[in-house]
Amino acid sequence: MAQAVQKLVAKVPTLIGAAASYSKPRLATFWHYAKVELVPPSPAEIPQAIAGVKKILSGVNSGRLGQTTVKEAFRNGLVCTEVLMWFYIGECIGKRGIVGYDV
Amino acid sequence: MVPPVAVSPLIKTARYSALIAGIIYGKRRYDQLKPIAAEERRVEEEEKKVREEQERIAKAIAEASEESILNLMKMP
Repeated sequence: MAQAVQKLVAKVPTLIGAAASYSKPRLATFWHYAKVELVPPSPAEIPQAIAGVKKILSGVNSGRLGQTTVKEAFRNGLVCTEVLMWFYIGECIGKRGIVGYDV
Repeated sequence: MVPPVAVSPLIKTARYSALIAGIIYGKRRYDQLKPIAAEERRVEEEEKKVREEQERIAKAIAEASEESILNLMKMP
């Protein structure tokens, strides 16, 4: 029993090394994409966002939104779902738990 | 590798404002629910004490009545 534990403890550095070498390229890929896609908006981009909202509202008023194709509508629906999920992730962070409130 | 997509600023602001709104909402709801849960636990404790008291009394009565039956059997 003690020998098995010793052998396991001796293997831990190799395991950690293997995990690091497995995850490094994947982390690099993730970082490569996240640096461009997941960054928060810079202060210069916020007026552009407000302009985008105004454009959507004017599209509603002019009836242009009725012209969207099903493909576009589906894509927009997916984007809205993703934004909604960020809200739920924020809620999990705020309540400091994944499932339920730990009162 | 596919080059990374340039995400529109509208989507970026929407994402991060949703994240911050979620954090605020989660924290507020937690602070709102915590005293309610503490109150419920306190009420549950008191009711449990009352229930246990009643059970103790009922058990004592049952033992007393049982004794009288056994005593009847022991009578010569």
